[in-house]
Amino acid sequence: MAEHHAVSDGKHKASTNAGGSVHGNSRPGAAGGGGGKGGLSGGLTQPAGWQSLLSFSILFLACLAGFSSRLFAVIRFESIIHEFDPWFNYRSTHHLTTNGFYEFLNWFDERAWYPLGRIVGGTVYPGLMVTAGLIHYMLNLLHITVHIRDVCVFLAPVFSGLTAISTFLLTRELWNQGAGLLAACFIAIVPGYISRSVAGSFDNEGIAIFALQFTYYLWVKSVKTGSVFWTIGCCLSYFYMVSAWGGYVFIINLIPLHVFVLMLMQRYSRRVYIAYSTFYIVGLVLSMQIPFVGFQPIRTSEHMAAAGVFALLQAYAFLQYLKDRLTRQEFQTLFFLGVSLAAGVVFLTVIYLTYTGLYAKIHIPIIASVSEHQPTTWVSFFFDLHILVCTFPAGLWFCIKNINDERVFVALYAISAVYFAGVMVRLMLTLTPVVCMLSAVAFSSVFEHYMGDDTKREKPPAEDSSDEDDKRNSGNLYDKAGKVRKHVSEQEKAEEGLGPNIKSIVTMLMLMLLMMFAVHCTWVTSNAYSSPSVVLASYNHDGTRNILDDFREAYYWLRQNTDEHARVMSWWDYGYQIAGMANRTTLVDNNTWNNSHIALVGKAMSSNESAAYKIMRSLDVDYVLIIFGGVIGYSGDDINKFLWMVRIAEGEHPKDIRESDYFTPQGEFRVDKAGSPTLLNCLMYKMSYYRFGEMQLDFRTPPGFDRTRNAEIGNKDIKFQHLEEAFTSEHWLVRIYKVKNLDNREPLDHKLRSVVPKQKYTSKKTAKRKRGHIKNKLALRKGKKLQKK
Amino acid sequence: MCMNGFVCCDFMFLFVHSDFECILHNIPLSHIFDIKTFSLPSHKIQTLGQTLLSEKLTQMMEWASKRSVIRMNGDKFRRFVKAPPRNYSVVIMFTALQPQRQCGVCRQADEEFQVLANSWRYSSAFTNKVFFASVDFDEGSDVFQMLSMNSAPTFLHFPSKGKPRRSDTYELQVRGFAAEQLARWVADRTDVQIRVIRPPNYAGPLLLGFLLAVIGGLAYLRRHNLEFLFNKNVWAFSALCFVLIMTSGQMWNHIRGPPYAHKNPSTGQVSYIHGSSQAQFVAETHIVLLFNAAITMGMVLLCEAATSDMDIGKRKIMCVAGIGLVMLFFSWLLSIFRAKYHGYPYSFLMG
Repeated sequence: MAEHHAVSDGKHKASTNAGGSVHGNSRPGAAGGGGGKGGLSGGLTQPAGWQSLLSFSILFLACLAGFSSRLFAVIRFESIIHEFDPWFNYRSTHHLTTNGFYEFLNWFDERAWYPLGRIVGGTVYPGLMVTAGLIHYMLNLLHITVHIRDVCVFLAPVFSGLTAISTFLLTRELWNQGAGLLAACFIAIVPGYISRSVAGSFDNEGIAIFALQFTYYLWVKSVKTGSVFWTIGCCLSYFYMVSAWGGYVFIINLIPLHVFVLMLMQRYSRRVYIAYSTFYIVGLVLSMQIPFVGFQPIRTSEHMAAAGVFALLQAYAFLQYLKDRLTRQEFQTLFFLGVSLAAGVVFLTVIYLTYTGLYAKIHIPIIASVSEHQPTTWVSFFFDLHILVCTFPAGLWFCIKNINDERVFVALYAISAVYFAGVMVRLMLTLTPVVCMLSAVAFSSVFEHYMGDDTKREKPPAEDSSDEDDKRNSGNLYDKAGKVRKHVSEQEKAEEGLGPNIKSIVTMLMLMLLMMFAVHCTWVTSNAYSSPSVVLASYNHDGTRNILDDFREAYYWLRQNTDEHARVMSWWDYGYQIAGMANRTTLVDNNTWNNSHIALVGKAMSSNESAAYKIMRSLDVDYVLIIFGGVIGYSGDDINKFLWMVRIAEGEHPKDIRESDYFTPQGEFRVDKAGSPTLLNCLMYKMSYYRFGEMQLDFRTPPGFDRTRNAEIGNKDIKFQHLEEAFTSEHWLVRIYKVKNLDNREPLDHKLRSVVPKQKYTSKKTAKRKRGHIKNKLALRKGKKLQKK
Repeated sequence: MCMNGFVCCDFMFLFVHSDFECILHNIPLSHIFDIKTFSLPSHKIQTLGQTLLSEKLTQMMEWASKRSVIRMNGDKFRRFVKAPPRNYSVVIMFTALQPQRQCGVCRQADEEFQVLANSWRYSSAFTNKVFFASVDFDEGSDVFQMLSMNSAPTFLHFPSKGKPRRSDTYELQVRGFAAEQLARWVADRTDVQIRVIRPPNYAGPLLLGFLLAVIGGLAYLRRHNLEFLFNKNVWAFSALCFVLIMTSGQMWNHIRGPPYAHKNPSTGQVSYIHGSSQAQFVAETHIVLLFNAAITMGMVLLCEAATSDMDIGKRKIMCVAGIGLVMLFFSWLLSIFRAKYHGYPYSFLMG
């Protein structure tokens, strides 16, 4: 909110000029160029200097606010990598920095997906690791020795500053400088983006949003200017995006859509032709350089729309060329209509196919089991965007009402992103930037009309109007319609009418809304998005904090006390962490590329002990690691995830595992006495609750009371035959079991055959009459004579 | 989430259930006729059993070729399902499809059952091992009596050997009546894997095509005056509608299918807002959509008030209305959010 006050107060301050210029030098040159240009159009007078100074300081403050609001986790805990996927990214970045780039590209990781292994170099988007590695290299070159972990932890906050700058640039191209600054402030602190870019969350999305926004900025720029220079810049930025995140598909569909709609609106121009032709070819070639992407851009349906639009654009340009040469106008228009209709149909079917494919993917259990692949409720929208989600339709309205080439783009961006965000919570991330931009447009057009009334009266009217005019011109320089000019003159009349009271009330209320937004963002960031989830914290009634460091305790135990090549079986969520922190071989991990392997682990977890032992022997498992939250009431534990294990196992082994077996006849999932016997005897249940029945947590509850599920467990007498408990962490959060070797002497399952001694032959004859008898005398048995045929 | 889906289904069940009980009491017992018995010389039984079996099989196949779900009455049921010489399994849906029964669940279940039976009937793996049949209450009420069944729909499997066991009754309450679930149950009971192939839903594309045709027709009729295509208000309005629909979580509704609102069965109180932040009712999303629209409209009004060339009084009203809309509905929305998201500390104007 400090930024907004800076806008209103800035005109009264004069002495901060020197400080401002220092700030300006410290920022990257792109912003400086932007501010300077606005100043130039104003004619190097005093107000222009003010404007660029203000822009600098606001942008700088926005970056600073964005950076520092992402540091909650570091300050509360420590500089640590968060969650699951970042651990893999960190591990591969570490590999990159220690072994070099080529070794990284050829890396075959034999410690994951035992016994299959994983080709890491060919199955990751390397942009993130290369970026972090490069920064680390540069810093070391300058003899600033930082650990690679710290580079990884602080990469996302730094990139959020860059995102703010690129959002400013893009919004300035779309609307005007004021809206750009507002958008930069919004994106710096909006929770929808912070959720993926807090310090320590070392993930692809953190840098990808910057790449996304910057690519869009360069695209808009190249459509506006039609110069190959900007387009090549756009391609390079696109290349960076492709190397960083799978979401590049969004760009390669949105830009063709933009071109297509421009053609439909008869806004085709040479600029569009140059921009798109260059972008498609160079971008295609560049994107195919990433090993993981490879030949996908010319094979898969997601990329076909771009190719179709490229062909269509060439056809259209050719027709335009013919149009100049031929005379039969009617024929041409008919021809054009036919071609465009056919192309449109092709394009729409391709899009339809793509999106149905995306929709169908949601229903595969392994994808459905991930919580971020769920559709989005309105609460999530409001939680992540707050006031912005209510106001950005207004910005969309203004954009469409004053349409031009680049506003077509932002409208399409908004509509497509909002659709995807509705389908999947995770894609809220792509919606967030456009919501910030359009909300900024809405707020800035309100502020434009309702702010600055008092200063205008103080100033001489002539200077005021020219200043006002210039500002408007620099903002709407590229508007085609002459409407805005009309607006200006109307506004001149209007501003005298509304009166200062109403204006100041409106301004104050709007500022209040924005202040609430800032407060909300801070609260959400601090409470919802700043937990490392590797270290947990609980708060007592008096506000003191308990740190639960069970995960690291257990992983460290594994690292220190087990054989270097020990194989650890766990559910796939913890694969990356085991590999990263314990440095042990895992069977499955968060890169869920092999469903049947995961299903096998799921089957082992959900069968009874002897069946599970067979599977574990066949997979060479040495240790089994599970997460159990019953002691402290941690809800994300394995018993709560257990039904997904059953479902995934059932998908591959429907004969052995049936989901309905794990429910009570009433269809409930219960762990107490009423639970189904299959559940009470499966491996996961036994491992979770082994010796838990002896433990009384509280005097009010019986022994063996599970705090997560609020139930007394049903099977307290758990004995293992093939496993033994190896380690249980302080709060029982992580339990590790050792799989025993086969016994030297296998006990038999059945009883030994009991040989009943035959009755001893005792002669009934008296001693006198005793004659000899022949032992084993052949007995004659009468049979039938074989009939001769 | 699934449980919510079943709430209404459950109500329907109770309704049908009670309906049935009273009907069953009214049926005169004289309607139930006994099975005719006939005696045969013992040496012929073996061969007769064979011929009877093959006869029955051909009869069943003939019916199955006509329609994938064989409709049965009491007589047929006894002959083809109950009577012993049989080497095929029969999956029977007991239902009440007559309109006067008013069983909505039965109709939905029937559709799913048809989908399953058709997938089986037209699959390449079709054999005479499994048949699908249905018994309607109004055609074979005696069968219902015989099996002492008083609710519909019920799915039973009659195995080729032996008597139906407990697991041969499909747990409708637990598993729902989706064709895929039914297929899994059938696969479980009979070892026959059926891949459910739903007939593609042509309604959506047809509707879209119709819409496009109408638009095209209109455009053709007004081809000399295509100005309306360039009307920005229309486009802006439709874009706004789409955005509002998406941000209010209609997609979630579409995928999850929540109830419209929840009526507390004991107090009769209707709640429109779901208590948890993880779920929502349809009514709630409509409310949110309206609120969002109102806030958007407020913002637009604010701008219009400053820029339009109407007289000053009207513009002042517009301005006040705009800021009022924004403030009122935003604080209202915030209070709803606060009620759902427990522990959220901030509110504005209203608690």
